Amino acid sequence: MVAPARAPLRTDRLRAVNEPRPVAVELDANGKPAAIRRSNDTGGGHGGQEETAAVVEAVLEMWRIDDEWWRKLISRRYFAVMLEGGSRVVLFEDLVTHEWFMQTA
Amino acid sequence: MSRSSTSSLAACVWIPLFPLRCEEARQDGLANYPTALLAPDTTRKLWQVSSLARHAGVKPGMTVSQAIGLCPTLRLIEPDPVHYDDCFARLLAALNEISPVIESGELGLAYVGTDGLEGIFGSPGKIIEAIKRTLEGWNVRMSEAGSTVQHSNLPTFRIGFARGKFTAWVAASRSKPDEAVIVPAGAERKFLASQPIAVLPLDTDIHRRLRQLNIRTLGALAALPEAAVTAQFGDVGKRLWRLAAGRIAEPVEGRVTLEPIVAALTFFTPVGERELLVHSLEQLIARALNHPRRIGWRVHAVRLRADLESGQMDSDVGRGAACCAPTNRSWLVNALLKDPTADAGSIAAPLKTRLEQSPPTGAVERLVLEFTAFAPGTAELQLFARDAAAAARAGQQRALRHAAREVRMRVNRATLYHVIEVQPWSRLPERRYALIDYEP
Repeated sequence: MVAPARAPLRTDRLRAVNEPRPVAVELDANGKPAAIRRSNDTGGGHGGQEETAAVVEAVLEMWRIDDEWWRKLISRRYFAVMLEGGSRVVLFEDLVTHEWFMQTA
Repeated sequence: MSRSSTSSLAACVWIPLFPLRCEEARQDGLANYPTALLAPDTTRKLWQVSSLARHAGVKPGMTVSQAIGLCPTLRLIEPDPVHYDDCFARLLAALNEISPVIESGELGLAYVGTDGLEGIFGSPGKIIEAIKRTLEGWNVRMSEAGSTVQHSNLPTFRIGFARGKFTAWVAASRSKPDEAVIVPAGAERKFLASQPIAVLPLDTDIHRRLRQLNIRTLGALAALPEAAVTAQFGDVGKRLWRLAAGRIAEPVEGRVTLEPIVAALTFFTPVGERELLVHSLEQLIARALNHPRRIGWRVHAVRLRADLESGQMDSDVGRGAACCAPTNRSWLVNALLKDPTADAGSIAAPLKTRLEQSPPTGAVERLVLEFTAFAPGTAELQLFARDAAAAARAGQQRALRHAAREVRMRVNRATLYHVIEVQPWSRLPERRYALIDYEP
């Protein structure tokens, strides 16, 4: 009944939700985010990209985490911000690579 | 899904301390140090120890702190049961080239049915030579798998040849490394008579009582009347007496098992949360049950294995040891279901219990489920179980499946997912939830 075959049935990965997306951040004199610029995929499969910019109206909260030093250090400085128009996002600076990312709040 | 054949003549192949030998075979130089393998279910205790460690007073079952107190240079190795299982499977496959009748015992112990092999190889001595050549070939493959392992570090084997598995096992236990003891036909009782009672499958209580009765050899036990031993030790005693007297010659029972049904899941980040592991296990069971090869058969044996994140051992385990050997780590559980079943809950139950009682000792990178043995399904069970509610559920499920298939065909990829909690308490937002394929 069962034919000899070594092929596994399925190998599936979990897909992360709310993965950080790269973003360019302009800082104010205090080192806090003042504006962000990010590239949006325009779709259509042509690789087209459109850049959007938004001014940070208010920094609502900020915090820092340093974690998983035993695996691969995660060191981030987070800012929960309100953009012009009222949308709220979370920005963080990766303190290892000094790159900025954005996530949904 | 399996058929069996038997052989009264048996060659027992035994590699003592098989897991430890596997580690020595893949880590060059490890055999030169006192080493100990940690127990798979708890990293606080030792499972197997090398002879150098034994000389320092270290014994299996000791706690790590006791062992390090006795032997500060002890090298501790975290267990990798999946690797040992693979090595053993390769050993069985190699022996299968000699004889179609192979029965496996514990790790490192296998019986080769040799009935009829004299027509191919000749005398028992020639059969043993053929088995040795096969084992040497397996050893070479082991050394090729290991990086820079010297041949001297490869596992040594012992072989016993006799009528019946027990006598063959006793002969193997008496042989020297890489050598064989052949018990000629008709000489079994004489051979067994001089052997110590420790070769019997005894529990510690019976062993103690036999020693108190000054019964130290199988001959001394067999000299007693069978009825007296049965009266003293019950059915167990009766079996022991028969083994000692050479009255039992259990044949080797070979099984032709077909390839398992495998379902696997690789996590994007190592997972230590029990809830997620249980959830993933349920997903894997559902997938494996849906496999076309499974339809019409019930699952009889199941294996769950996990590749664990490699890393340092915890501070308590490592404290005081001169070196903690870096190894791959894994976790393995085999479950034989009392009643073969196709019910996901019944298949999951023993695995969940094991996850609860002795969980993996590290974060899991990959989880693999295998259905390894099957029994024919019964249509009658489904007939009687089909009540109105079950029929309604089946209808809903069918409709859902149809809709999901249609969506998948339209967009040409899987687009339906479950959102599951991964680490809802995590300070990293992307770690809190994940998507997993949804297949109704």
